[in-house]
Amino acid sequence: MDVLNRVVEPFHRGAPPEPQPATGFYTDTTVCIGCKACEVACKQWNQLPADGFTWLGDSYDNTGGLSATSWRHVKFIEQFPVDPTPAEAAAGADLIDPGRWLMMSDVCKHCVTAPCQQACPTGALIHTEFDNVYIQPDICNGCAYCVAACPFGVITRSALDGHAHKCTLCYDRQRDGLVPACAKACPTQSIQFGSISELRDRARERVARLHEQGIAGAYLYGDAPSTTYSELHSFYLLSDRPSVYGLPDAPFNPWLRMKGDYVRAAVCGLAAIAALLPMLLAR
Amino acid sequence: MHSGYADRTITKAPNWHGLVALDTLFNNMTTGLFLVAALGELAAPALFAEVARVAYPIALALLLADLVCLVLDLGDPLRFHHMLRVFKPTSPMSFGTWCLTVYALPLTVLGLLSILPTHTLDWLRRPAMILGLLPALGTAVYKGVLFSTTAQPGWKDARWLGGYLVTSALLLGAAQLLLLCGVTEQREAAGALRPTLELLLVLNAVILGLLIRDVRATLARAYESTRLSELALLVVGGGVLAPLYLLAVGRPIGLTVAVLLILLVALLVRRVIVRLPHLLPGGRGPGH
Repeated sequence: MDVLNRVVEPFHRGAPPEPQPATGFYTDTTVCIGCKACEVACKQWNQLPADGFTWLGDSYDNTGGLSATSWRHVKFIEQFPVDPTPAEAAAGADLIDPGRWLMMSDVCKHCVTAPCQQACPTGALIHTEFDNVYIQPDICNGCAYCVAACPFGVITRSALDGHAHKCTLCYDRQRDGLVPACAKACPTQSIQFGSISELRDRARERVARLHEQGIAGAYLYGDAPSTTYSELHSFYLLSDRPSVYGLPDAPFNPWLRMKGDYVRAAVCGLAAIAALLPMLLAR
Repeated sequence: MHSGYADRTITKAPNWHGLVALDTLFNNMTTGLFLVAALGELAAPALFAEVARVAYPIALALLLADLVCLVLDLGDPLRFHHMLRVFKPTSPMSFGTWCLTVYALPLTVLGLLSILPTHTLDWLRRPAMILGLLPALGTAVYKGVLFSTTAQPGWKDARWLGGYLVTSALLLGAAQLLLLCGVTEQREAAGALRPTLELLLVLNAVILGLLIRDVRATLARAYESTRLSELALLVVGGGVLAPLYLLAVGRPIGLTVAVLLILLVALLVRRVIVRLPHLLPGGRGPGH
């Protein structure tokens, strides 16, 4: 019976929940202090195992990246001049660029048109009623196509259970009317959770304020769709190039090229069948 | 100033290795053998019906080997049937799974009919051949598109990968059928197959050239130039020129060697393609 259940159960479908207003994260990197409370809260709430501890020699980043067991990853970027030249030193401290820290709590981008969801052959990857990207853990069979499809390098197949894992945007907490654990724990409101339209308004006001304060390089990443990628339901306020934060400068949805690739392959297949003519015409 | 994470590979490689390289080979060997044998039998039964009877059980065995590779490469092989929960044409993997499933049915019928001692059910052969053609072509077509529809370095640029794999499938099919003609002593069929195989070798080499043009930047990042030169020599010399020469000479042992060279180089090319994103710095990523 157990075997029969294993075979039949994945084919059962319940009624989908009623759609809700879209929710997401707005991460303001200019106020992130790199405390990693989000990483800890995420691990604790989602009962994710520890990854061990390794000194990576990469500033304060000893997490290394998002993985099947780390759904939040705080990045540290030290932008400091190596050494002032004697002339700069002689000219006085005011002229020397003091440098800056950039910190960013990275997470799944919950893309509106998500390549991982488009790739998934089992239907395990879905958009929830909150329009967040979610992996159904009882359905995923670990094919890893979502891993290959994600342009942000978010999803990872676990060596423990063989399934793909990533941020759920605390689907369970949202269902109970709670704020996701990372946003709840963030002490500076760098990670903000809420209705995506409200978050976008708030983020645009913040960018305008930063521009007024002379931080001309501040901009939003992923708040609006581009010609090659949809908007993100986890978007960022950045103050340097996206690649500096480990984000693609111009994300590209691989599915934009799928039709053309199919056409090329089919034409080549027909050309190869035409090459069989000498054999097919022999009698 | 510190450029942060700018020099890192952002994407994570999916940890697809030897089994996936074998899967792409078996996929192309089974579909190619079936397509060439079935088209040959449908168009010229007097010439190809005998050798096709040997080809179908072999194509079925290759399909089973392919399915074993596909299942074992899953993170959770006991959930392989979850692939059949949905049909998602937007997912090349879902499309391919269904093509494989549909292709397996007529091929199983043909494979069993070919080994049965009785000929009473032979009326089923022709419909099974016809029904198998389209799903077999779909099975050969999807695999390259699956790789090129990803965000992985190299694969994402490989616009001609689908074209390469599908022409390679027909090439491998013709090569295997030529070998079977030798084993079953079908000299006339072998004579008709040789010019076809030569044409397919040239066509496949042209499309491989287009594919290499697509991925040359990633190849240069993944391999040292001397290694790349060795690979080019092996692929062009061993996989194209030597087989063309041996086919032109036409001696039986030479034909066997030509077919083996085509098979070995086909596996080599697939191995290089499958490994490509994994060879780049940071390609494995954490959690693997």
